[in-house]
Amino acid sequence: MAKRVLIVDDAAFMRMMIKNILTEAGYEIIAEAENGKQAVEKYNELKPDLITMDITMPEMDGISAVREILGSDSGAKIIMCSAMGQQAMVIEAIQAGAKDFIVKPFKNERVLEAVNKVIG
Amino acid sequence: MDMSQYLRMFLDESEEYLQTLNQSLLELEHNPSDEQLINNIFRAAHSLKGMAATMGFDRMANLTHEMENVLDRIRAKKMVLTTGIVDILFKCLDRLDKLVKEISHSGAETSEVDDIIELLQNVDSIKDGAASPTVKSTSVEVDLMDTNSDEQSTIISHLKTDYYCYVLDVELVKDCLLKAVRGFMVIKNLKEAGVVVKSIPSLKEIEDEKFDYEFKILYLTKESEKEIESIVTDITDVKGIQIVRITEDNLTGETGPYIENGIQEVAAAVEVASEESEESNAQLTQQDLKITPTVRVDIDKLDSLMNLVAELLINKTRLEEISNRMNVSNELFGDILQQLDRVTMNLQHTVMQVRMVPIERIFNRFPRMVRDLSKELNKKVNLIIDGAETELDRSIIDSLGDPLVHLLRNAIDHGIEDPETRKKAGKSEFAELRLSAAQKGNEILIQVTDDGRGLDAKKITKKALERGVITRDDLTKMSDHEKIMLIFRPGFSTSEVISDISGRGVGLDVVRKTVESLDGHIYIDTELGKGTTFNISLPLTLAITQALLVKVCDETYAIPLSVIEGAEDITAEQVQMVQGQEVFVLRGHLIPLVWSHKLLGLSIPDLNDNTEQLSVVVIGTGKKQVGLIVSELINQQDIVIKSLGEFLIDVPHISGATILGDGEVALILDVRNIA
Repeated sequence: MAKRVLIVDDAAFMRMMIKNILTEAGYEIIAEAENGKQAVEKYNELKPDLITMDITMPEMDGISAVREILGSDSGAKIIMCSAMGQQAMVIEAIQAGAKDFIVKPFKNERVLEAVNKVIG
Repeated sequence: MDMSQYLRMFLDESEEYLQTLNQSLLELEHNPSDEQLINNIFRAAHSLKGMAATMGFDRMANLTHEMENVLDRIRAKKMVLTTGIVDILFKCLDRLDKLVKEISHSGAETSEVDDIIELLQNVDSIKDGAASPTVKSTSVEVDLMDTNSDEQSTIISHLKTDYYCYVLDVELVKDCLLKAVRGFMVIKNLKEAGVVVKSIPSLKEIEDEKFDYEFKILYLTKESEKEIESIVTDITDVKGIQIVRITEDNLTGETGPYIENGIQEVAAAVEVASEESEESNAQLTQQDLKITPTVRVDIDKLDSLMNLVAELLINKTRLEEISNRMNVSNELFGDILQQLDRVTMNLQHTVMQVRMVPIERIFNRFPRMVRDLSKELNKKVNLIIDGAETELDRSIIDSLGDPLVHLLRNAIDHGIEDPETRKKAGKSEFAELRLSAAQKGNEILIQVTDDGRGLDAKKITKKALERGVITRDDLTKMSDHEKIMLIFRPGFSTSEVISDISGRGVGLDVVRKTVESLDGHIYIDTELGKGTTFNISLPLTLAITQALLVKVCDETYAIPLSVIEGAEDITAEQVQMVQGQEVFVLRGHLIPLVWSHKLLGLSIPDLNDNTEQLSVVVIGTGKKQVGLIVSELINQQDIVIKSLGEFLIDVPHISGATILGDGEVALILDVRNIA
């Protein structure tokens, strides 16, 4: 069965990019969320195999979302999506338990490498 | 990777972000300490940067990156927001907007961004001169084995309890992004399986990205070399690891005092980082934005959906027509027809609704424009926006932007007086400029109201005469309102000096043309010394409308109901001649008459056969009425408006065509210009 992925990013454009990359590689995108709060709700509801998590988002940022999700399910697998210049935040997310990170601008093979490593 | 598929979405979303940025920045200027606003702006800039970089639009990405830097300093309270900075940020937004437009037109960025980047960077150095420039890593080559006594005792005690000691040399790939994080991940994973005694460069330096692609670690673990290798190389971007096992004998050496410092530094850094993150979390969770799930659809797809619904509607009408003509009294058939009627009607409504977007889309850009313009002209203007949530067909909204810009510019440039004049006239220094939108039945009313000097009919007529827009003869027949409406005539401009702002060759006549091409009309309410209101009324949607079908010389024509005020049957005796113009009296008003066959240039005046009874459709445009004499009134029905195509775009008095229930084509009369 295809691995199920939840995509979290406030920019629809970014969600579409990741979605296309992952769908082409045979992953199933079961849901998308626009902010951390939605991400937590969707995670609890759907229990996806993987989450790709943006960092700067309205309402609840990615790091808080990572903490909340891992707080209730320590087995959750999360990959952070970051931009250049955010290392401090990425480090924080990794410290909080995120498994890996990818850096915008995304490159197909980079995204897939990270995803395959975490849930492949 | 083929990026073209993302382009549309990228452009749409970029525009949205730019609008958010403009709006928030404008608000921020008034409330410079509003942290939520700063966060909003920062986030929007950040998202924009990520998107632009992904699409490979480097100039946009660079520009947003610099902007983000400035915003970050403001957010971290390292810099105070001044009007100067706001102006530079606005300039930056303008350039970004320009880049987005260029990308939309040609798919590439053509404008340079270096000048703005320089401005942004200068903001940085002027306002934040005290801050030390980022010092490039000056990592001194030190020996990993240069351990202090604490470290030695740690190592020795561990070695006694089945631990091995290794020196790890980790190398990252050259194109590794955010290598600080990678380094951190390596150390974190290692810590899970053992003890990291020290590293070169120090842990802090690794986190600050002060290393090239390699770092060394002194490591204690129970795991085998193979196990360590898999722990480390499992991490993305790790090129390789060299592992050297060392024994107790190698350990003795001199101690280095710098290591203690290093550890303290790490501890301090961790503390600061966690404080910062708590702060930013608190800020973010405060926000309560409502987000509804949406789907983005290409407007072309909606157009074709609308077209299909229209086809369906036509065929439904034909079916009804056939059933009437054949006198089918089958109950089942009637039921189905009714059902079909209901479904198509719902479908039509839903599609129309989908096409509707809030007028906010265009209103949003005005506060910025009014701010800049009033600053430029030294006028004090409060812009008030009402009813921005009012919804209109997307295609109407898109073409409404320019006329509104023109009206607002006009109001600020010509309508509103400078503060001194206003004071002398006993008005508040701050002029009120109101932009409002509201739905009235099947129409949308948009008003631009200023409390400026008002329009002077005398001045207008004088100008009109000078410019040869009208003759003195014309003037005698005109009401004050008609005189004021002269400003919509081509070649008319009330300003003495053609300014850069509202007089750039396109006058109010273009505004009127645009509005009328949207099937709407425009009229003015004004009072000298008190102010002026421009009223624009528009249909909710362009594609489907109710119309009255009439016959003229055996041809069927459709007249949109929105312009019809009534239909009268009059006798030939009621027609009177006043100043060479045929008129009739309707409820005490003289209404000029127009023969439709003459208007349309049809040669066979079949109306003469029956001059006893004349059918008159009373058409109202703004405040003027005209009676259009037609051969026969047929009925009222929904029609689907189809364009005549490019070749027939300028046919006088015809605005389009529609297909009737019997499959015949009827032309739609454009009666507005008759009046």
